[in-house]
Amino acid sequence: MSALFDKTWARQALALAALLILWEGLGRAGLIDPFYAPPPSAIALALYELFADGSIWPHLTATLSAALAGLGFGLLLGAVLGFGAAMVRPVADIIEPVMILLNAIPRVILAPLFIIWFGIGLGSKVAVSLVLVAVLIFFAVYSGIREVDVRLVERVRTLGGGRMTLLREVYIPSVTAWILGNLKVAVGFAFTGAVVGEFVASSRGLGYLLSFAQSTYNAALTIALIVIIMGFVLILFGLAGRIERRLLHWRYA
Amino acid sequence: MNKMIKGSLAVAHEAFDDGTEVRVRPQAGGTDARPVVSVHDLAMRYGDDEPVIEGVSLEVREGEVVSLVGPSGSGKSTILRAISGLHAPLSGKVDLGIPATEMGFLFQDDALLPWRTARDNVALGLRLHGKPVGGARQEAGEWMARLGLKGFELRYPRQLSGGQRKRVALAQVLALKPRLLLMDEPFASLDAIVRHRVTQDLLDWVEREGIAVLLVTHDLEEAQALSDVVNLLSQGPRARISHRYPVEIPRPRDLIGVRGHPTFAPLLQRIWKDLSVEVEEATANR
Repeated sequence: MSALFDKTWARQALALAALLILWEGLGRAGLIDPFYAPPPSAIALALYELFADGSIWPHLTATLSAALAGLGFGLLLGAVLGFGAAMVRPVADIIEPVMILLNAIPRVILAPLFIIWFGIGLGSKVAVSLVLVAVLIFFAVYSGIREVDVRLVERVRTLGGGRMTLLREVYIPSVTAWILGNLKVAVGFAFTGAVVGEFVASSRGLGYLLSFAQSTYNAALTIALIVIIMGFVLILFGLAGRIERRLLHWRYA
Repeated sequence: MNKMIKGSLAVAHEAFDDGTEVRVRPQAGGTDARPVVSVHDLAMRYGDDEPVIEGVSLEVREGEVVSLVGPSGSGKSTILRAISGLHAPLSGKVDLGIPATEMGFLFQDDALLPWRTARDNVALGLRLHGKPVGGARQEAGEWMARLGLKGFELRYPRQLSGGQRKRVALAQVLALKPRLLLMDEPFASLDAIVRHRVTQDLLDWVEREGIAVLLVTHDLEEAQALSDVVNLLSQGPRARISHRYPVEIPRPRDLIGVRGHPTFAPLLQRIWKDLSVEVEEATANR
C-alpha cells in the first residue's frame, strides 16, 4: 500500500476518487442541487445512454474527422508557410504580419465567417480547426528555422554540404523537433476549433450536442460530453507523445 | 585511395595503406614544398565594424604546421573563416593550392548533428564527398576505431563525453583525408589529460600523413610544440601579423619531450615578451 502510494499516478487517482465520492455523497445528502451539479452517478448514466443507444457515434465521427482533418491540413499549411517565409524574405514580409495579427486575435471569432463561406457542414469546422493549428505551427517552423544552430550549418558547409544537404541534414530535423514540441498543443487546438465550429452552427457533432444540452438545461449530459472530449484529447495526447518519442529518439536515447 | 594526391604526400599515404609504419613526411616548409594556401594582404570585417584584421599575409606549405597566436579579439579565427570560405574578405585574397574539398575545418566547439549517431556524423562528410551510404558507414566505423571510439558507433552525441565528441568531430574531418586542416582552438574545452591525449594522437596522425595545418590557439606552448612556424598577431582591430618565429625542433615530436628541447624555453619566453609588448602598446594607444 505504501509502495503504491509512492507512485504519483496512484496519489492522483486516489484524489480523483475521493473527490467523486465526496461529490456523490453531498448530492445524495441533498447538500448540492443536482440540477446544477448532477452527481457522478447521473453523469455516468448519461454517458452510458449515449453509447448504449448508439446515438453518440455520428456526433463523435463528425467531431473527430473535423479535428483530425484540421490538425493534418493545419500542420501541412503551417509548415509550408513557415518554411516559405523563413527561406524567402519577400514571402515573410507578406505572411508574417498576417500571422502576427491572426495570432493576436482569438481565432475562433472567424467561425461565423467560415460558416457563411463553407456552410454548416464539415468544411467550416475543418476551417476553424485548421486556422487555429496552422498559425501555431507557422511560428514553430518559422522561428525553428531562423533559430537553427549556426554552428551546425557551418559544420555541414565545411564538410562540403550545399543548400539541399543543409535542408535535409540540418533544417528539416531541427524544425521537426520544434513541430513535435508543439504537437500536443496543436491537438488541443484542433479539438477547440472543431467543437467551437459545431457550437456556432451545425447539425451534428459533440459541439452540436453540447449546445443542445445547454439549451435544455441538461447539466448531466453537458458534463458527460465534456468528459468524452477530455477522453479523446487524452488519447490523442498519448499518441502525440509516442510519435514525439519515436521521431525524437535521439533526444530521449 | 585518393588519386588526386600528388608528390610526397602520396608516398606517406601509400605507406599507411600498406600497413607499414613508415614515417615519411614532406620536408616541412622546405623551398621545394608547394603552398597549400597563400593569403595575400587580407582584410576582414563583420558588418560595418572596423576591420578586425588588415594586411595579413601568410602561407602554409605542404606538410607544414603553422599556428596563429595573439591577444583575444585579434581576429585569429577570422583568418580561418576567410580561408574556408565561410566569410568573404573585405579585401585581399586567399589562394588555395589544393581543391577546396581537400580542406578540413576543426572547430572550437564540438557541435555534431544531435539527430545522427556518432558513426553517421562521421559518415556524413564521406557521403558529401560522393561515397555511397554503406561504404561511408563502414569507413566511418574504421575511422572511429582508429581514434579509440570503437563501441560508440551507435551513440548519439548527447550520450558521449566532451572528449569523445571531440574525437568524433576529428574523425569526421580526418576521414576526408584533408591535405590542409584548419583548426580553431580545437581542444580548448577539454580537461588537461584528455586534451593531451587527443592532441598527441592528432599530432602523430598529421606527421605521419604529412597534412598541412593552420592552427589558431592562445596557448603559446601548444603552438610551439605543434608548429613549424608560429605567427603572432597584434591586438585588434586592424590586427596584423607582427612576428613570425620558426620552430627548429625535429619531428616526429611528442608533446612532453618537445618541452625539454633546448630551444623551447627561450623561444617561449621571446613570444611571451613580444605578446606582452603588443598588448601594452594597444592599451597605451587606446
